[in-house]
Amino acid sequence: MSESSYFPPRRSILRKPSWAARLESSFFVLLRVATYGVLLAAAAIFIDIGWKGGRVVFQAAPPFINVPFLTQAPETLNVFTLDGQTVKMGDRDFRAYKAANPEKLRDVHVSTYVYSAGGIFPNIVGTVLLVLGSMVIALALGVCSAVYLSEYAKDGPFIRLLRLSIANLAGVPSIVFGLFGFGLFVVAFDWNVSLIAGWFTLAFMVLPIIITASEEALRAVPKGLREGSLALGATKFQTIRTNVLPYALPGILTSSVLAIARVAGETAPIMFTAAYVVRDQMPWQVEQWTDFFFQGVMALPYHIYVVASKIPQNDYTSDVQYGTAFVFLFTVAAIALAAILLRARMRKKYRW
Amino acid sequence: MSTATLKPADSPTPIPRAPMPPAFVEIDRLNFFYGDKQALFDITLGIPEKQVTALIGPSGCGKTTLLRCLNRMNDLVDVARIGSGEIRIDDINIYDPRVDVIELRKRVGMVFQKSNPFPKSIYENIAYGLRLHGIKQKSQLDEIVEKSLRGAALWDEVKDRLHDSGLGLSGGQQQRLCIARTIAVEPDVILMDEPCSALDPLATAKVEDLIQELKARFTIVIVTHNMQQAARVSDYTAFFYLGKLIEFQSTRDIFTNPKNPQTEAYVSGRFG
Amino acid sequence: MATDTAQAPSASHSVRKQLLGPHKFRLFGRNRDWWIKLFFEGNAAISIVVLLLIVFTLFREAAGFIPGNRQNLEVYRRAGLEYVDILRRQTEDYAALGRQLSATRLAWSEHLRAQGLPQAEITARLDAIDTLDTRLADAIGTHQEILSEMIDHASSVKERVKVGHDMAEVRQNLLSGIPGATPEHAAELQTQADAVVIEEVDYATEINVLTNRFPEIQAANRNLTGELGEIAAALPQADDRAIARQLSHLADALRDFRKSIPERESEFVRWRADRPVSFFESLNAFAFGRDWITASFWQDWYGVLPLFFGSVFISLISLAIAIPLGICAALYVNQVAPPGEQRLIKPYIEFISAIPSVVLGFFGIAVLGETLRQVSQVEWLSWIPGFPMQERLNAFTAAALLALMAIPTIFTLAEDALQNVPRALREASLALGATRMQTMLRITLPAALSGITAAVLLGFGRVIGETMVVLLCAGNRIAVPDFTAGLGVAFQPVHTMTGIVAQEMGEVVRGSLHYRALFMVGCLLFLLSLGINYGAQKIVRHYRLPQS
Repeated sequence: MSESSYFPPRRSILRKPSWAARLESSFFVLLRVATYGVLLAAAAIFIDIGWKGGRVVFQAAPPFINVPFLTQAPETLNVFTLDGQTVKMGDRDFRAYKAANPEKLRDVHVSTYVYSAGGIFPNIVGTVLLVLGSMVIALALGVCSAVYLSEYAKDGPFIRLLRLSIANLAGVPSIVFGLFGFGLFVVAFDWNVSLIAGWFTLAFMVLPIIITASEEALRAVPKGLREGSLALGATKFQTIRTNVLPYALPGILTSSVLAIARVAGETAPIMFTAAYVVRDQMPWQVEQWTDFFFQGVMALPYHIYVVASKIPQNDYTSDVQYGTAFVFLFTVAAIALAAILLRARMRKKYRW
Repeated sequence: MSTATLKPADSPTPIPRAPMPPAFVEIDRLNFFYGDKQALFDITLGIPEKQVTALIGPSGCGKTTLLRCLNRMNDLVDVARIGSGEIRIDDINIYDPRVDVIELRKRVGMVFQKSNPFPKSIYENIAYGLRLHGIKQKSQLDEIVEKSLRGAALWDEVKDRLHDSGLGLSGGQQQRLCIARTIAVEPDVILMDEPCSALDPLATAKVEDLIQELKARFTIVIVTHNMQQAARVSDYTAFFYLGKLIEFQSTRDIFTNPKNPQTEAYVSGRFG
Repeated sequence: MATDTAQAPSASHSVRKQLLGPHKFRLFGRNRDWWIKLFFEGNAAISIVVLLLIVFTLFREAAGFIPGNRQNLEVYRRAGLEYVDILRRQTEDYAALGRQLSATRLAWSEHLRAQGLPQAEITARLDAIDTLDTRLADAIGTHQEILSEMIDHASSVKERVKVGHDMAEVRQNLLSGIPGATPEHAAELQTQADAVVIEEVDYATEINVLTNRFPEIQAANRNLTGELGEIAAALPQADDRAIARQLSHLADALRDFRKSIPERESEFVRWRADRPVSFFESLNAFAFGRDWITASFWQDWYGVLPLFFGSVFISLISLAIAIPLGICAALYVNQVAPPGEQRLIKPYIEFISAIPSVVLGFFGIAVLGETLRQVSQVEWLSWIPGFPMQERLNAFTAAALLALMAIPTIFTLAEDALQNVPRALREASLALGATRMQTMLRITLPAALSGITAAVLLGFGRVIGETMVVLLCAGNRIAVPDFTAGLGVAFQPVHTMTGIVAQEMGEVVRGSLHYRALFMVGCLLFLLSLGINYGAQKIVRHYRLPQS
C-alpha cells in the first residue's frame, strides 16, 4: 500500500469538466431527442387530423357541432358551376333541385364524388354494434377462462398447452383472423357477411388480451381473502363469486377498455366478415329480429379505408375523409385514454 | 434419541405429570408430503376438547402444516398430499372421501397469521359466513353479528361504525374481527396460525385475553413462535422439531418439567 | 365445565351428521363444484379450440391449392403455353438488347451535344448506330410473327380446355341433383346433363400445330444469328471512353445472345408436353415463384416471393427506424428522465399504440406521402439514394408509419426489461466509479438484452402482420424489390402478403384457385407469426435473469 499503485494519481472529487462528462451529457441529449422525436411524430398526426377534421365536425355557429355530418348517411356529392358559382349538393338535394329546375341544369357539367356528402351516422352505429357484441362474447369467454387459469388450474400439460395457445393467439395478425372468420363463419357456417360473423371474429381476436388482463387482475386479489372465505366454510365457487371476482372486477373492466379500443380500431378482421361499403337500411330496419344478426353493417374504420383509397384526393373529398378520420381517431383515442387513466388510478387505489 | 420420546407413557419419570384428557381431534400416525419432500413424520397427537393446545417449534418444523391439515386447507396446495395416517374428529377420518370438505371447514374454523378481513364493512365481514350458512334474516344477522363482536371483545370499539370498511381498523382490531368472523359460524374447533405475530404487545395482550375467554366455548389450536405466549394462553403444548412431534404435555409440564432434552433446550431458549 | 360436557354429545352428533351428510347436488356422480370447474375449464379450452379452428380453417381452404395449381400448370404445359413461352422469353430478351442499344445512342447523343456540336452534325455522327437500331428491330420480325400466331393458337386451346372444365362442372352439378329428386325431375336433369357438350381437347394434335413451327423458328434463328454477327461487327467506334465502354458492353450482350441461340433451340427440342407436373413443382411455383399474376388472359401465376419479399423488406425498414428510437426512448425514460417526465411519456407512448392503423394509413396517403415526395425533390438532398422519389406511396412511406406502430411495442417491453434489471447491478457499477452512461451501456443494457431482443421480435411480428398501413401506403406494385438500386430500393413501391389478402379477398370467386392461393398466403402469415411469437417466448424464458 505504501508503494505507488498502478492507479493514476488520485483526483479531487470536486466536479470538473471532463471528456467523459461531456460525452455523457451529449448521449443523454441524443436519447432525449429520439424520445421527443417519437412524441412529436405522433403529435403531428393528432394535430393534422385534429385540425383538418375538427373543422368538419365543429363549426363556429351554434350548435357548434356539425350535426348533419353525425346524423346522416353518406351520399354522393354533386359539384357543378351555375351562374358562375360553384354549387355543392348532396345527391338527394340534387335530384330534388333537378326535378324542380330541369332546364337550368341542361348543359351544366356535373362532377360527382361518391360518399363525399351527407354524414357517417350508419358507420358510427355499425361500429358501436360491432364493439358491443364482440365485447360481450369476449368478456364472457375471457373472464371465465381467466377464472379457470387463476383459481382452478394446476400445472400440467393441459395448462401449458392452454398458455401456449393464448400466447400464440395474441401474436396472430389481424388479417389472419379476418381470413379465419371469413373461412369459418362466412363460408363454412354460411352466415354470410354479417354482424354475428364480425362479432365472433373480433371476439376471438381480443380473447388473449382479455384473458391475460383478467388473470392478472384475479391474481392481484390477495390469497388471504380466498383462504379466509374457505376457512369459513364457503365453497370454492362461493369464494370466487363473492370474494374474488368483485375485487378483480375493476381491474378486469379497466383492461377491457383497452381491448375495446383495439376492437373498435381494427379494420382487417371485419373487411370480409362484417363490413359493407354501403348499405341503405339502418341495422334496426329488419323484417325479422333474427335478421338483425345476419346483416352486414357499415363501419367507421372500413369507411375510412374506402374513402382513403377508392376516391380521389381533392378539396371536395377531403372533408369526408378528414371528418371520418377525426371522429374515429378521437373516439378510439378517448377510449384508450380513459383506460390508461383508469388503470393509473386503479393502481393507486387497489394496493393491498 | 427423539424417537424414544414419542411414547410419553413409556418413560418412567420421578415427577408426576398431569394426565392427558381424552382427545377431541385425534391425529393418528400422520405422514404428510409436499411433492417428494416429507413434511410431517408419523405424528400422533390427541387434541383435547375445549382447551387451548399450542403447537410450538422452530421455523419450518411443520407446525403450520399440521394446523392446515386439520381443516384441509392444504388441499389448496397442488403438491400437498397425505402419505399415510388419519385425522379423526369424533371418529370420522376427515380425509375420508365421503367427507364434505365445506362442512368440515364450517366446523373447523381458522384465523390466519396476517389478518385478512374482506374489503367489506365490518358488519358484512361477519355476515358473510352466516349468509354462506343460510342465515339471511336481517334481525337474526344483527343479533349474531353483535354477539360475535362482543365475543371477540370488539363490540365496544366498533359498534358505532359497523358499516365502515373492515380495512380501516387497526391491526389488532382486524385480527379480532377475523376471530369474530370465525366464531360467528360457531365452529367446534378454531385453528389459529400465529395470530399475534403481526401485532404490537398491547394488541397481542387483547387477543390473548380473548383466547382465554373463547376456550370455554371452543377447542382452540394455536401455532405460535413465541414461547411466552404458549405458556400464557395454552393448556397443552406440543413441541415439533424437523417435522416430528418431540413432546406433547400439559403446558406446565413442558415448560417446567420437560421429558426430552431437546424440548428443554428449546423452551429454555438455547436453540430455535 | 358441567354444561360443556353436557353439550358435547350433541355437538359431536351434529359434526358427524354434517360431515358425512349427503351432498345436496349430484349429477352423473359429480358434485356441484366439479361441474362448475368443468364449466370454467371448458371456457378456458376455447383458446385452444380457436387456435385449432384457425389452423383447420386456413389449411382446409388452402388445401386445394396445391392440386389446383398443379392442374393449372398442367394445362399450361399440355396446351403448349409453356412451349410458346420459350419463344416469348427469347423475344423479350431480344427486346432488352434493343433497349440497351437505344440507351447507348441516347448517352452518345447527349455526350455530343455537351461537346457543343450542332444537331445536324450529331445526326450524321449517329447515323451508323441508327441504322443498326433499325436492323436490330427488323431482325426479330419473323420471330414475332411466329410468336403471335402461336400465342393465338395456344390461348384458344387453353380457352377450350377451360370451357370443357366448366361444362364438366355444369354436368356434374346437374347429375348431383338426381338422387333425391322426383322421377320426372330426375329424368329432366338427366336429359339436361346429357345435353351438355363436353369437348375433349386432343392435346397431341394441338401441340403438333405448335411444334410444327419449330423448323420455321430454326430458320429464323439462323437468319438472326447472321444478322447479330453483322450488327456486332458493324458497331461504330467512339472516342469518348464512357461511350466506348457502353458500346463494348453492347457488343458483349449481342454476342452472348447470339451464343445462346443454340441453347434456346435445344430447349424447344427437350420440351415435352406430357411431362407430369409434380406436387413439388406446384408447391415451388408458389413458394419460389417470382410472379403473382391473376386474371390474366395467358397464364395465372401464384408466386408468393414478391409479396414475401415486400413484407419482409418493409418490416426491416420499419424496424431499422423503430429499434433505435424505441430503445433510446426506453433508456431515456427508464434511466435518465426525471419521474415527472416519466409519468407523462410512458402513457403517451402507450397511447400511440391506440392510433388505429387505418388512420395511420390515411395519414400516409393524405399527408406523409406527399410531404416525403416534396422533401425528396429538394435540390440539396439529391445525394440521398433514391431521391427524388418516383412514387409518393412506397415501401419507405409505409415503413415510417409502421415504425410508429412498432415503437410502443418495443418501447414498453424494452422498458420492462430495463426495469427488471436488478438495482444492485446498477448500483455496484456506479459504486465502482462508472458514469451513468457507462453503467447503462455496459451493465444495464446487456443485462436486459434478452428482454429487448424479445421486444424487437414481437415488434417485428406486429409490423409484418399489419395490414391497413401497407395496403394504403406501400404502393402495391407486385415485384421483388430491385436491390441493384442500392439504398434507393427503399423508395420503390412494393406489395405485401397482408396487403394482397386484404385487397383481393373481397373480389375472388369462393373456391377458385385464386381464393385458395390467398389462403395459402394466410397460412404462411400465420406460420410466420407463430414462429416469431414462439421465438420471442423462448428467448424470454431461456435467458431470464435470476430474479431476487
